[in-house]
Amino acid sequence: MIRFKSDKEDKPILDYSNLTFIRKLTRKMRDPKTKFDTKEFINRGEDYLFNYTNKNVGSVDEKRRKFLKSLIFGIAAAAVVGVIPGLKVLVPPTVTVTSGFPKSLLVDSSGNPIKASQIPVNSPFIVIFEYPMTGEPNFLINLGDSSGKPVEIPSTIVEVPQTGKTYTFPGGVGPNKSIVAYSAICQHLGCTPPYIHFYPPQYVGPSQLTASEPDQLTAAALLAAKQAKVPALIHCDCHGSTYDPYHGGSVLTGPTVRPLPAVVLEWDSSTDYLYAIGAVGVAAYPNGSNGVPTNNPNEDLSSSFGSPVGDKTTVQETENPFSS
Amino acid sequence: MSSKLSDWFKERLGLDDLPFFKTPDYMYKVDYWLGALVASAFIYTVITGLILLLYYNAQAGYNSTEFVINSVPYGSVVLYSHLYGAYAMIILAYVHMFRNYFAGAYKKPRELLWIIGVIMLVLTLGTAFLGYSLIGDALATSAVDVGEGIISSIPGLSIFIPLLFGNYDAGDYGRVLAWHIIFTALIGLLFVFHFFMAEHYGMMPSRKVKDKVPAVYTKEEWQKFNPWWPRNFVYMMSLVFLSWGFILIIPNALAYLNGLPQQLNPFLNPKPAPPPNSPAAAHITTYPPWFFLFLYKIADFTSDVLIFLFIGVIIPLIYLILVPFLDRTEYLHPLKRKVFVGIGILMATYLIQTTIWGDLTPGVEIPVGQQVLVYLPPAIIVALGLTAIKPRTDNKGNIKGTISPITVLAFVLASSLFVIAGIELLANPTILTVGIFIPLAGIFVLTTKKIAPIALKAEQKSENMAISEERVPEWKKKLAEGLVAVLFIYAVVLAAQIWTIPATGYFSNLFGVDLGLIFLMLGEGISLYHYVVYRK
Ligand code: FES
Repeated sequence: MIRFKSDKEDKPILDYSNLTFIRKLTRKMRDPKTKFDTKEFINRGEDYLFNYTNKNVGSVDEKRRKFLKSLIFGIAAAAVVGVIPGLKVLVPPTVTVTSGFPKSLLVDSSGNPIKASQIPVNSPFIVIFEYPMTGEPNFLINLGDSSGKPVEIPSTIVEVPQTGKTYTFPGGVGPNKSIVAYSAICQHLGCTPPYIHFYPPQYVGPSQLTASEPDQLTAAALLAAKQAKVPALIHCDCHGSTYDPYHGGSVLTGPTVRPLPAVVLEWDSSTDYLYAIGAVGVAAYPNGSNGVPTNNPNEDLSSSFGSPVGDKTTVQETENPFSS
Repeated sequence: MSSKLSDWFKERLGLDDLPFFKTPDYMYKVDYWLGALVASAFIYTVITGLILLLYYNAQAGYNSTEFVINSVPYGSVVLYSHLYGAYAMIILAYVHMFRNYFAGAYKKPRELLWIIGVIMLVLTLGTAFLGYSLIGDALATSAVDVGEGIISSIPGLSIFIPLLFGNYDAGDYGRVLAWHIIFTALIGLLFVFHFFMAEHYGMMPSRKVKDKVPAVYTKEEWQKFNPWWPRNFVYMMSLVFLSWGFILIIPNALAYLNGLPQQLNPFLNPKPAPPPNSPAAAHITTYPPWFFLFLYKIADFTSDVLIFLFIGVIIPLIYLILVPFLDRTEYLHPLKRKVFVGIGILMATYLIQTTIWGDLTPGVEIPVGQQVLVYLPPAIIVALGLTAIKPRTDNKGNIKGTISPITVLAFVLASSLFVIAGIELLANPTILTVGIFIPLAGIFVLTTKKIAPIALKAEQKSENMAISEERVPEWKKKLAEGLVAVLFIYAVVLAAQIWTIPATGYFSNLFGVDLGLIFLMLGEGISLYHYVVYRK
């Protein structure tokens, strides 16, 4: 800044931006391309000068413009700073469990462990827990005979009709070896409860042929139950697939070509607690690779959607479909 | 420093030589920039769509939607604003179209520009429909089912269903996603044509300057206007950030609204409905996305799909495409082409009316008598109104005093809302309907007041007023300058606060609101800058 020394105080006469402005203006005036027309200036006076500078050097108010510009850039910078945390959206999610199934304690909605001996036999309620990932529901059923006494479920070989392959279902757990858990996602087209659910013995009869959705049974399902000599079923009302809960969730009637995957349970006899420790069968629909079910029970654990349930999973009683 | 930098870019990019239309001073009003608004909504939606593409799994549509909302950091912010970006694009596209329709912007030499625009509208609606289906919730699946139903009931067209939707029933959304992206790409492609054509013809000159076709400035004329860089650019940026701000704020604020009445759900709820195979799905009334409510209602008028398609889709579409060739008059003034203006007003009115009707009575069949009762009055009002209004001319034979198309639209909207609220109130008088009726009545009175003096006695305005900008007093500029400083302070405060918002969960949507506010401030700041620096 050029200062003019007077007797009383410093008086700034020209600050730097004014200086550059004048330099620029005089350069433009000399430039043959943008020559300042003195005749015009004499004719039109100030107006011409004003227009000329506006056109060639920019507004006379250069300083104000700069100040405003810096403010705008400041707001823009604030916007950039604000967007930065949003970039977290680009960080891919990490799936912590890809190697094995978690061991999860089954708890009730208030967080207390479920006692195996207190699970009602042949309950018509839809009882569900998520495992191994969130969003993957499984039935928890205490199986009994037609008089309501718990039935021991032995280990069986289950066949996958689609591939002809087989796998071993480990059998029931609990004080009576009667408690089983199966995926609650129909292996046909993925219907979930209440369309697919457990039918206790009292509901496996001709009266269900005319019941309304989602409690209807098909004649084929009834016949299959009779032939297999099982008192109760898991049936999907979407298209009529029927599964046998007494034999590892194997297929009783189509259209499904895959049994229900089973959750492997563990019962601690000292505490009466139940744990989910794994799964057998094809990967849960439809989260297998490309939606095509595989024989690899770990397949759905590598899916990037949903997160593992962790060491506890909540058992919920959603509703009794037969009462409505 | 910054001017050196901008000069550097200006030279490298040859900004001064760009064949972009130069803009006269009076055009720096949002009226003339509706296309830019549509484009900025489009760009926003594309950006967020690409981010969502990183997460969306077509094999598990609903689950991955839920995953994006619940588990991806700020995923719900991105998803909801993607949805509302699309909503904004649809609404703005309609406004843009009707504005240009009333302004006669489809006339020579802009016929092709107009037709491409109409095609883009169709593509936009198609893309929106496909995108909506990707959510995979109960509403989306039922919407696709309806779409499938319509297509398959036209003989010979059912072969297109697997082509379009793939294995949708099995929960595989791969095809829907692919078409969603392909349609977007087509819009992008047509946009390039649309944009360069618009730049080539230049914006429509004000009717007061050129009231006859061809409404273009000659090259000599527009060479004298403001160059594209930097003034147009600055003005455009202000519009872009303002619209982005609204796109971010509205849905993220709405995410905190719960338990809306059913009627408001399709318009205001950014969250997905329950999945189709859940018990909760049984309890919801299915309705299509709001932008197809009008079609949904028309489907209730007739059981014949072909008739429905003719009324709802084909006739309006063919009309819009043909209108540049039907309306051969050389006049641009709305009152000199009353028939077309009348049709336009009715189209807008019916669109809004039918949409609201579809919302109030989804899937309820309507007898012919009631249809007449609803659609006849607007037609009579418009016909009588248009014949009654005589264009006033001054002594030189020019038409004076006009109503801006936006005002007309607002008036039509307000009056149809008013009429519908009135009918609804009479049909079932509850607190809710009374509560809705009173403010609407107020709005109606206000818009009528605004339009009446102009319509009844043409406004006395000198012609030059609208063309040259009024000089802005210095104190106003000072005030604007102060406002920019205030905005700056707020923006910095908000930017600091934004870092404390959790990335997922209930509070994460505040991030969208705050970021939107900062965008608004940026847009407003730039617009004030434009005001101070460029207004005379
Ligand atoms: S989905 Fe269960 S039978 Fe089809």
